[in-house]
Amino acid sequence: MPYDIVVLIKQIPDLELIKVNQSTEEPITDGVPFKFENLSKNSVEAAVRIKEKNGGKITAVLFGNEKGTQVMKEAYAMGVDEGILITGYSENNPVLTAKVLAQKIKQLHYDLVILGNQSADSMSGMVAGLVATELNLPLLSNAVSIEVADKIVKVSTATEKDVIKSETTMPAVISVTQETNEPRFPPVLQIIKAGKKSISTEQSTVKIENTSKIISKKAPKSERKRLIFEDVDKGAQEVAKVLKEAMK
Amino acid sequence: MKFLIFSDIEDSAKQVMSFLKGKGDFVLYTTEKGESLTKYGAQKIVLLTGKPEVKGISSLLSDEFSSGGYDLVMIASTVLGRDVASLFSGQKSIEVIPEIFDIKFNSGTVTTKRYGLGGKAVIEEESKSKLFTFLSGLSDDVPGDGSSPIETKNIPEGVVKILAIEQKKAKEVNLEKANIIVAVGRGLGKIEGIQQIEPLVKAVRGELAGSRPVCLDYHWLSEDRQVGYSGRTVKPKAYVALGISGQIQHIAGMRGSKVVVAVNKDKNAPIFQEADYGIVGDLYQIVPKIVSYL
Ligand SMILES: Cc1cc2nc3c(=O)[nH]c(=O)nc-3n(C[C@H](O)[C@H](O)[C@H](O)COP(=O)(O)OP(=O)(O)OC[C@H]3O[C@@H](n4cnc5c(N)ncnc54)[C@H](O)[C@@H]3O)c2cc1C
Repeated sequence: MPYDIVVLIKQIPDLELIKVNQSTEEPITDGVPFKFENLSKNSVEAAVRIKEKNGGKITAVLFGNEKGTQVMKEAYAMGVDEGILITGYSENNPVLTAKVLAQKIKQLHYDLVILGNQSADSMSGMVAGLVATELNLPLLSNAVSIEVADKIVKVSTATEKDVIKSETTMPAVISVTQETNEPRFPPVLQIIKAGKKSISTEQSTVKIENTSKIISKKAPKSERKRLIFEDVDKGAQEVAKVLKEAMK
Repeated sequence: MKFLIFSDIEDSAKQVMSFLKGKGDFVLYTTEKGESLTKYGAQKIVLLTGKPEVKGISSLLSDEFSSGGYDLVMIASTVLGRDVASLFSGQKSIEVIPEIFDIKFNSGTVTTKRYGLGGKAVIEEESKSKLFTFLSGLSDDVPGDGSSPIETKNIPEGVVKILAIEQKKAKEVNLEKANIIVAVGRGLGKIEGIQQIEPLVKAVRGELAGSRPVCLDYHWLSEDRQVGYSGRTVKPKAYVALGISGQIQHIAGMRGSKVVVAVNKDKNAPIFQEADYGIVGDLYQIVPKIVSYL
């Protein structure tokens, strides 16, 4: 039985390339290139695996900015059939993000909505539940494995203490973790094809009142000594001294 | 001020109650039976029984919130907690400030701190929000001598059917109490490598810990030994990172360590930016050397 899947994906600044402005102590994001958020890749991979077995169509929705086309092309290369880019993302706000995404999803045909449980930049972990609420759908979250059959979806969720197996009837919202799968690197031919595919782009119109005010956004302080030894023997001696001190 | 707390893990419940002591009244809703939870000054403890379905829990909490005269809701940032909070936020249309590690109560507003940009920024913000998820490590665990009454409530069933619950292995270690932590990362390469690290752990009377891939993906170590944003937050006197690249999510869990030592074969590994002492090279050669000098 084929399943139509909507995958929600995210572009994030390449966190490793963020430098700190020494005078303001603020991280500099201007000019930092965007990349495909890690768990969004796991989400696409999860959708592609379901499609490979059962058939169906995968639509990816990305709420971001104009630069999101690059990420969408990567998603195409991984196996996404159609991509919708909604521009107008300015800052992490899970309530707004969920409303924007849900408004779009309502216009699409789907059996499953798949997204990451906690994105690598804002890490709020809120979007899956908020999208499920907006769509009035059951939420199966933090899936480490997903099985589908006869319009029923089963997942295993690993909490801090237990592994919980649960199921529900489609349509449903599923959030995945980085342990769900290992995203495959797409073959070159697929990458070339993906580059030529069109992406439909629209501007977000949803507005909400933001009640929180940012007081400061500074890099966490790190006052480490950074004594780095390339002479292994000398380093080991120094470290042994430090550890002995800590054992006291 | 009256707080509604939800935590499905004992440690976070104890930490948040320790944190809130003296700041207002609070009631703890939990799925944990621990008798020891009664010593933290909660007005009462509501033990939630039945299957831990997140929609069921959030509906129950949102009813309690409406009828119980609560001002603020604090939910532990756990796998279940985050879902419960997001459903609660959606159901009640209240904005949530997620993943906070500090909160101050002003008159009518709160000032919170959380990480942004994957840990590259600390966002301090003021809001009128009533709902928060809080990270582990919010406060030390300081039991008192009170004895909160326990009540039970059944979690209503929802559209998600829970088929089975398998308990993971019991927690074997309390990393928060360790004096010295020796942590291994993917650079260890294989589970057998642990044996070669153990002499160091023994020599410094430390505890073994790991990065997320080592604990969650490869299961070289048990999950309660994971340090980092989604694992434990630790503050030992010395933290030794072996074959750990130093991704921000890992750093978020060990930033409070007094001294940080890193061993990595890549001299550009970000962990060296967060280390007091670093040695560039193969951990399998360096670890025995350190042991020999101890
Ligand atoms: C929402 C979210 C939450 C997360 N939470 C956590 C968390 O709580 N904890 C956590 O750790 N991660 C967490 N992560 C994952 C994190 O982003 C990294 O993927 C992870 O920390 C990398 O682990 P690592 O350093 O062991 O592996 P890698 O990044 O692969 O690093 C391995 C290192 O070992 C070095 N190396 C290899 N061989 C040797 C050798 N023989 N000798 C010496 N050095 C060697 C390499 O140079 C490299 O630097 C989270 C991610 C997300 C998105």
